[in-house]
Amino acid sequence: MGLAKPIADYESVASWARGLREQWGGDPLADDPSKLETLAAFCEFTGKDPDEIVAFCFLRKKATGEKFGSVKRREEMAALIKQFRAASGGASMQGRRRQSDVCSFLIHNGVLMQLGVI
Amino acid sequence: MEYKELIGIRRSIRYFDPERPVEREKIQKILEAMRIASCAVNAHWNQAIVVNRADIPPEILEELKMPVAALVQELAPVHIYCYLDPTVVRRNKGKRLKELVDAGALNPTHGWSHKFVDEFVYPQVLEPLTTNPGYPIVAAFDCGGAGTQGLLMAFELGLGACWTAFNTEAAKKLLGVPDEWIPLYCMNVGYSMESREAGGQRPRPPFEELYHEGRYGNPFRRDPAVVKDLEREKMFTAPAPLPGRKEEIRQIARKLGLPE
Repeated sequence: MGLAKPIADYESVASWARGLREQWGGDPLADDPSKLETLAAFCEFTGKDPDEIVAFCFLRKKATGEKFGSVKRREEMAALIKQFRAASGGASMQGRRRQSDVCSFLIHNGVLMQLGVI
Repeated sequence: MEYKELIGIRRSIRYFDPERPVEREKIQKILEAMRIASCAVNAHWNQAIVVNRADIPPEILEELKMPVAALVQELAPVHIYCYLDPTVVRRNKGKRLKELVDAGALNPTHGWSHKFVDEFVYPQVLEPLTTNPGYPIVAAFDCGGAGTQGLLMAFELGLGACWTAFNTEAAKKLLGVPDEWIPLYCMNVGYSMESREAGGQRPRPPFEELYHEGRYGNPFRRDPAVVKDLEREKMFTAPAPLPGRKEEIRQIARKLGLPE
């Protein structure tokens, strides 16, 4: 699945870049292009674009339309990330980095993701 | 460590060396500190179960984790699960109060005697207390005090620690606690991967918002000279974030393979 536009143009990716800059200073996404490459690979793996990945983790209350983080969806996303890691080098340095980068993307978009130590 | 310095250096530690075991005698000292805490009517509602994380079956450990606390629970080599046993008052029927009378802690000068306990305190105060909706709150306050003594002991022994909630159903399966026990918190214990300062003293609400004098709304007057004393005595340390904190966290994150 190809993305409909450059990955950096997605709002969720802009949010990730902002979060990383605020947390760590500098411009971590620009300094380390492998992070965006990993996210692009995860998009390919899931068949979703970055904004859809984030949106998947939230639901809206039927009555009020209020957005809330879905535990079930978050667990499903965690399982996908673990599958992605397994397909990307498992417990190797590369596998760990790829899992961490996807988690970082979600965390800076407000999705709690603690997958622990590999 | 001197007391003021000890409470000044305590932090909620969230990065433990997952592979470094904690000496059994240090865990015992934490429990010993909890046991001698102040406790209303000498009831001792606090119960604790120590578990080495490595002994927890992986599937149960996954169940025990709370969303925000999962990493702390995974990293800490020792978990101390704290519970409140509400049955202790009815079981002892004032016996522990009478031990205080015998020990000379509760004396006739203040109206205490065995007969007073047997004929008034237990039947008219303690036993009815156990059916009061506020009873668990009273008991939990004391358990918190005991837990804090244990927490400070952990830091006195060079360890780090952090309270977290835990999945109580999973814990019940693992620990086999009686149905009546009320789950409180888990003290996660281990050797800290953070520096001693752990980024500096964490932000707290202004003193005047928390403490009052004479009447609600009249803030307790904070004497700057006292604050200076406490700074000199190391109860107040440099506020967070200290320079280099983010780099410290980044290094730990990379070492453990955590997201940034």
